[in-house]
Parts: sequence; C-alpha cells; structure tokens
Amino acid sequence: MSEARVIRLHYLLRAALLLAFALYIAHLAQQDTLHYYIAPKLARWVRLCPVPLALMALALAVQAFYGKGSALCDCEHRLPRSFVKSTALYSLFLFPLLLGFLLPDQALGSLAADKKGIILSNLGDGHPEASAFDTSDPYQQEFAELARQLYAQPVIPVYPAIFSETFGAIDRYKQQFEGKDIAVTGFLYRDGTHTDPASFAVSRFLVQCCTADATPFGMLVEADTTISLPNDTWVEVRGKLQIADYQGQEVIRIKAVSVTPVSAPSTPYIYTSPDSIAAWHQLLAAQEAAKMAK
Amino acid sequence: MRRCSLSDGLLFLLDVAGLTPFRILPLLLPAAFLVVALVFWLPELTALLDNTYLGSFKASFIGILLEAMPFVLLGALLSSLLSVFIPDALISRWIPRRPVPALLFACLLGILFPVCECGMIPLVRRLIHKGMPVYVAIVFILSGPIVNPVVYGATLTAFRTHPELVYARMGLAFIVACLIGLIIYVTVRKSPLRLSIKSLNEETHRQDTRGGKLTAVFVHTADEFFEMGKYLIIGCLLTSAIQTFMVRESLAAAFDRPLGAYVFMMGLAFVLSLCSTSDAFVAATFLHTFPAGSLLAFMVLGPMLDFKNSLMLLSLFKTKFALYLFFLILACVFVGSVLMSVWL
Repeated sequence: MSEARVIRLHYLLRAALLLAFALYIAHLAQQDTLHYYIAPKLARWVRLCPVPLALMALALAVQAFYGKGSALCDCEHRLPRSFVKSTALYSLFLFPLLLGFLLPDQALGSLAADKKGIILSNLGDGHPEASAFDTSDPYQQEFAELARQLYAQPVIPVYPAIFSETFGAIDRYKQQFEGKDIAVTGFLYRDGTHTDPASFAVSRFLVQCCTADATPFGMLVEADTTISLPNDTWVEVRGKLQIADYQGQEVIRIKAVSVTPVSAPSTPYIYTSPDSIAAWHQLLAAQEAAKMAK
Repeated sequence: MRRCSLSDGLLFLLDVAGLTPFRILPLLLPAAFLVVALVFWLPELTALLDNTYLGSFKASFIGILLEAMPFVLLGALLSSLLSVFIPDALISRWIPRRPVPALLFACLLGILFPVCECGMIPLVRRLIHKGMPVYVAIVFILSGPIVNPVVYGATLTAFRTHPELVYARMGLAFIVACLIGLIIYVTVRKSPLRLSIKSLNEETHRQDTRGGKLTAVFVHTADEFFEMGKYLIIGCLLTSAIQTFMVRESLAAAFDRPLGAYVFMMGLAFVLSLCSTSDAFVAATFLHTFPAGSLLAFMVLGPMLDFKNSLMLLSLFKTKFALYLFFLILACVFVGSVLMSVWL
C-alpha cells in the first residue's frame, strides 16, 4: 500500500474520532449533563467545541477522499509509523469516548470528599469576627451584609446558588448565629474515622472550573437518634446552629430536629456567585412571587 | 499525477479492504479489541457501574479533559492560522533583537493572549518555527498562564483576605520566567527542538491542499489536536487516578516540617494539573495548614510545570533540554518562594 493511502486511512480514522468527540460533547450539552464535569462559566466555551471539531473532521475527510496524492505527504512526520504506535494512539483517543458513552454520568460524592478532605470551617486567618455583623475589612463587607440579611430570617435558608457565601457568612459570625434555626440540603457524608452513627456532615462540592478543583464543604450534624441512611444520600436537615470543637478547630454544627431524605438536585455541585447580595434579593423576590401565586 | 474524485476515494477504500488486509490491521485493531472487550464485559458491566471509584475517576477524568478542550482547540487553531496565513519573516521582525526587551516583550505577550497552558504549547511550537528565539518562547510559556488579567482576577477572588499573596504570585512568576529566559539565552546555543519542520516544504504543499486555505487550516488544526491530545489524555489519566486514590490529609501530615510544606505543595501542584484560573481556590483551602510561601510555590509552579504540560514539553523539546528546563523551573520556584516568604 502506498504512503498516500496509509495517510488517507489515518485521516479517515482521525475524522471519525473527531466526529465522535464532537458528538459526545453535543450529547452532554443536549442532555444538560455538562455540569457534572465543569462549571457553567466554562461550559459556555465547551459547548462551542463541537463546531471546530466537526469542521476538522470534515476537512480531514475531504483530504482523505479528494486530496491529491502529492499533497498527502506526511512532511512533518506526525503520523505514527508502526503497528504498535498507531494502535496505542487511537486506543488512547478511544478511551475517553468509551468512558463517556458507556458509564453513566455520576457526580462526585463521599469517596472524593474523603480523599480531598472536607472543609468544615474556612476561616483562613483563624479569627472569627467578634462584633455583630460589622467589619473593617472592605473584602469582608459582602459577608457581613449577607450575614445581616440571613440573621433577619426566622429559619435561615441555605440556597444552592449562594451556598458557599452563606456557609462563609455563618462561619465568620458563628457566635451571633448560635441558636438560630437553619434548613440545609446536601449529601450525607461520614468521615471514615468518625464512627458515631448519629453524627455526619451535610455536604456539597464547590466547583470553580472543573471537577479537578472540586472542594467539599460541609456542616456537621448531630442527630438525637441513629441515622441509618447510607453515605451519599441527599438529605434536608433542619435544626439549631451550635458551635462545636472538631479536631481542635471551632466549627459550626447543626443540632438536628429532622433529617429527611430528598431527591438529588439536578445540579449536584455549587458554584461561587459574583454578587451574593444581589442573588439573595433575587431569590427572596422569587420566593415571594411563588407564595403570591399560591 | 492521479486524478482525484469521489470514486477514486471509494475505490481506494475497497482497494485497502480487499488487497492488503495485513497493512490495515494495525488501524483496525483498536476497534477489534473494543468489540471483544464489550462482548466479554457486558455481563459484568452492571457490577462495574456500581463501583464508586470508577464513577469518581470518570467524573474527574472527563472534567479535566473537557476543561482543557476549548484551550487546546484554541491553541491548535491559532497555531494553524499562524502557519497558514502569517509569513515567517513577520514574527521575527516584531521581536526585539536585544535579549532584555525581548524578555519583556514575551511577558507582555502573555497579557495579550490569555491562553491556558494546555493551549500554549502548539502555539509556541509554531512561533518558534516562525523564527521566535527559543528563550523568548520559554518566557512566554512560563509567564503566559500566570501573568495575565484573568488569572490575576481569579487569584484576587480566592485570596480576598491576603491581597499581598496575589501580587507575590504575579511578581514571582514574572521574575522566575525572566530569570529562566536569561539563563537559557546564555547557556543554550543549539536548537533544542525535537523536530525541525522545513518551512520551504510547507510552502509548496499549501498550494496543493484541496478546498483552499480553509481546509488547510482545519487539517493543520487536527494534526495539532492529535499531537497534543495524546499527552493531554495521558496527563488526565494520571491526574485523575491520583485525585481518585490519593488521600490529601494524611500526606500533608507526613510533610509537616518547615521546608516539607514547600516540597509537598510543589508536588501537589505537579500531580493535580489544575488550570491556572482555578488553582488559587484550591490553594486557599490550605491557608490554615501551610505557610503562605508554600502556597505561593504551589500557585507559581502549577501553571509552569505539571503532569500534562511536562509531557507536552517533552514532545516539543529534546529530552535533555526538557529535563534541564524542569530542573530550572523547580529550583527557581523553590528558592524564589522561600525568599518571598520573608515578606509575606
């Protein structure tokens, strides 16, 4: 077989692989499952990827079928030369496609939280704010304002859209929030070393770009009775906020009144909000509107 | 010269299938493996599906791959546009001749092209072939992913309470990149590139491509994609395996010594292969466990050197030069961040 034919065949295989990648990404976008892997701000760009991928596949196919023999010289020596190398190369590209198409989309859970180490308190510099919802640090203004808004609620709601900000605000003003009622939804996570079945954490993964940087956040929960639900069950926890000591660190803990299993949310991860105060007002307004509709 | 038509193409396919089965075997083998594997595994597949390790592995593997995809495509596309439309002389005319202005120019280039490090390598390879000196290209590769407005903004968001760490990151990246550029300018004389493309060859072939320049652009892009894609996929495989099986806290405890923290954070930066726009958020979670200097080392080293881009660098440069470069990066970042920690 002449050199040009080998190149044509390589091009056809590559076109097929590129098309498969384009289809896979389009499939994820259409099924609305891209958010299992990447944050919305990046998903915008990933959604565009099938276009260049398909164009590349088309260009390669055109070359393979219509290209002149003389144009098909592998002048940059980039095509694999041997049996083993070609097999290895194309198997490598097939692997993510197989993984993607054959296995179900599954969000990160307790296992990943175990490996990454769950965060129960995120006070970098270690000093919680003492005075009531006031701060001299301009960077903390947003948290102080959110804390004030949250405190005014009879039961503090933890909206997924501003989960990490709410967590941060309560964490910073633990003392003030002690004894307040809270309702929060997340997946159930038990530390491998923590054997007490009545204690667990209600957790969410915060994703900045993609699942590689997913960071598990959680609030400790203490229930009166043993909770027999398995790890990774989605639960809604209602109870009172307390301060607890966990491995020498002051963390918030919920003294649970009720722990109810709920269905998994359509978006398993949480993301940072550019302006949590604006998001908070929007969420409240939406809730009011929903109440009026009823 | 053979005539080219659709029938010709189809004929060639038949030809291949009928006459030379042994020659196409290597290409069909992956597909054959696939069929066999599927038939054997299908009954066990349901058991595999329950495996939480596999689910966790898939989530991080596909996540990293999808995250890199737009950047790799952008890098490949830019590189191929450069090769098709920009004449060689143009780029070497833009670059200042004397080393110091050239180094500063390379740092500024990073501000203009905020491409993630995975998109950087194909672009830089093309720029080198178009006449960019190697030391300028190295500075661009090293500083580009850090010294740019997008990463500055992301780091500031992650370290709102410690803005000095943000300036330290930008500053150290700038210093390390320029220093390494200078060292390479002084010590390396021969071309360290793995393969040298003859630009003359390209010139003649360009005219022959079917469908004009547009097809040529996309064929080149596909070449780049497969060239870089293999390293990207291997890098993603290793990284996501580590993400799935490595327990961070117990490892962190093992390195709980003054300089151990630096070694640990630099090792972590290397194996996690995070995007430079998101690594600051991961670094911020270590704020209460480790000294600020080690977080700085994490944030400067990661974008310059990690699993996936070290494989890409190895494909771009000769092994000896690539190892020399890795050593320079590790040494400069380590010393630089230890020195900087005095001010932090």
